[in-house]
Amino acid sequence: MRVVHLALVPLMLMAGMARAQDFLSCQLVPGWTQSEAIHPYTAENLYDYKDGGAEGYLIYGFAGMRSLNCKLGENTLTIDVSEMNDADAAYGLFATNRDPRAPIAKIGMGGQVQPLSATFAKGKYYVEIVVNAVDPNSDHTAELTALVNKMVQRMEGRETPPEALAWFPTEDQSKTGVVPQSVLGLKELKHGYVAKYKQGQAFIVVEETPASAAAVLKVLRQKYDGATDAKVGDEAFQAKAPYLDGICIFRKGRTLGGYANMPSGQEAAAQSVKLAARIP
Amino acid sequence: MNSKTTRRNFLSTGLMLPVVGAGSSLGLLNLSAQTPAGSPLKLSYKTLGKTGLKVTSVGMGCMITSDPSVVTRAADLGITYFDTARGYQRGNNERMVGAALGSKRKQVVLSTKTEARDKAGMAKELDTSLSELKTDFVDVWYLHGKSSPSEIHDDMIEALQLAKQQGKARFVGISTHSGQAQLIPWMVQKGVFDVVLSGFNFTMENTGVEQAIDAAAKTGMGVVAMKVMAGGARSQKAGQTMLTTLKWVINHPSVATTIPSMTDMSQLDENVQAMGSTLTAEDHRVLAGHLKMIAAEYCRMCGECDGSCAQGLPVADVLRYVTYADGYGQFALGRERFLQMASEHVAVRCENCPECTVKCPFGVKVQMRMKRAQELFA
Repeated sequence: MRVVHLALVPLMLMAGMARAQDFLSCQLVPGWTQSEAIHPYTAENLYDYKDGGAEGYLIYGFAGMRSLNCKLGENTLTIDVSEMNDADAAYGLFATNRDPRAPIAKIGMGGQVQPLSATFAKGKYYVEIVVNAVDPNSDHTAELTALVNKMVQRMEGRETPPEALAWFPTEDQSKTGVVPQSVLGLKELKHGYVAKYKQGQAFIVVEETPASAAAVLKVLRQKYDGATDAKVGDEAFQAKAPYLDGICIFRKGRTLGGYANMPSGQEAAAQSVKLAARIP
Repeated sequence: MNSKTTRRNFLSTGLMLPVVGAGSSLGLLNLSAQTPAGSPLKLSYKTLGKTGLKVTSVGMGCMITSDPSVVTRAADLGITYFDTARGYQRGNNERMVGAALGSKRKQVVLSTKTEARDKAGMAKELDTSLSELKTDFVDVWYLHGKSSPSEIHDDMIEALQLAKQQGKARFVGISTHSGQAQLIPWMVQKGVFDVVLSGFNFTMENTGVEQAIDAAAKTGMGVVAMKVMAGGARSQKAGQTMLTTLKWVINHPSVATTIPSMTDMSQLDENVQAMGSTLTAEDHRVLAGHLKMIAAEYCRMCGECDGSCAQGLPVADVLRYVTYADGYGQFALGRERFLQMASEHVAVRCENCPECTVKCPFGVKVQMRMKRAQELFA
């Protein structure tokens, strides 16, 4: 039995590779041809390709990247497919790299297609496509849209953004994102989600247990002189914090949330009530 | 390592300027909960080569900073060197840094980088950078991520010079993660570069990288160090050792400033504290112990082994492939790269050599690692 299992391993690996090759192909766009072998990258050698930008991938939980160059006439096309540790990481990388002045399209979990580039995330994959065109003013939106759609069809994985992003109130919201480390610049808030608003920003951090969430809340409260109780969720405080202005942080079960950069702690608490009501 | 202690400690001590009550003098809010514990905040300053720019020995790499409050506070605390790049987060990082620095922009040294490969593209990127950073000029403008002189064309140098003439960049340079031993001497010889931003940390002591950096600094080129934590020393448990690697670099006489990444206020506080401390005998012991621990497997990519294998193996490459599998769990990738080597190299079996001709100057057990690769991949 064990022999059978071992014999299956290479086949399974090959099947996985075949799926990856299936959506990483120049032939998905008519006329484009592969100009060189696919370049694989790991955390160790990503610096060789992305220079200091590599850190931005690694911090989100980077498993590997495959990069493919295609050619059509004088124009070249580079497709970078990053495999992240999970779908939230892939979405997070997309969200941090997206053009905040352009809308997010329904491509996988989210994507953007522009005249010379496209990005999207689906499942644990984050994809960046760049056209290096002889005419920098040329518009390749149609080709890129077709390519992206074909890649999405061939990819497996989640097609909805992280659930927590839907908990943020949407009124006056300008941007949402996944923060891989130190939400609000506070090391105690290890990993979470943020939403930027016309005024202030909201955050959500999901802890392992209600007890661990309570412990984090206690530590944070001790940071700020003059913190007072607020009536939000299971427990909360509001304060005036250095660099974060009016702040309110609450706990609801094992979830921490709140608002920062508001004019006062009271106003942060008032907004936090709305956020807490949306958290299951 | 110890032989340099006295000289470096002397230099760092001499350059250290106490900034008593920095928080209040800068009009900060109550920082009592977040400022470093202990006695007065100390910032150490150095001069960035012939540029004459005074920089704190710890600067800030903004690449992975997600909350602008960390950048703002770093500037308030007195850090004077901030680094970003056009390509970071597809331009979003420059925008964040520009907004976070705000009115403090002119009080700090601001650097960014371009990946464009021709004169027109570089000029366009610089204009975009200036717009996003909300400034009329950058203090240092780098060609981003070069590892060989062959990657740098004359029109790129013309674009750098033009930017200086136009007042859009005060000084220019190159950022590099690899190939420094060849690239930096070329930069010095070329005579048109003011600053080099290089990967540099304690694992590179006595390598070609350090020699190149020392030589460049002697000619007046400003040296900025990145990758200073040598791959995550901050994750070590003991608080005392967490910043030892950073302390090693900021105490290096050829390095003017460093750009460790910082994502939160606590890291910022730790790094600021590092400026106020010298490299102790205990620090040296910790670094030496760490080097000893990794020596048998850790390739510093110094290039000393090039051409020394009797069978012609590209030793450094094979070491990297085996690290893919053993260090990163990427067996498939390691095997794929191994099998992409020339067939005569794939066929080599180290047990057939009576004695290994490759002698790593840093103690990597080359034959053992080659055999490991052959067992895994061949």
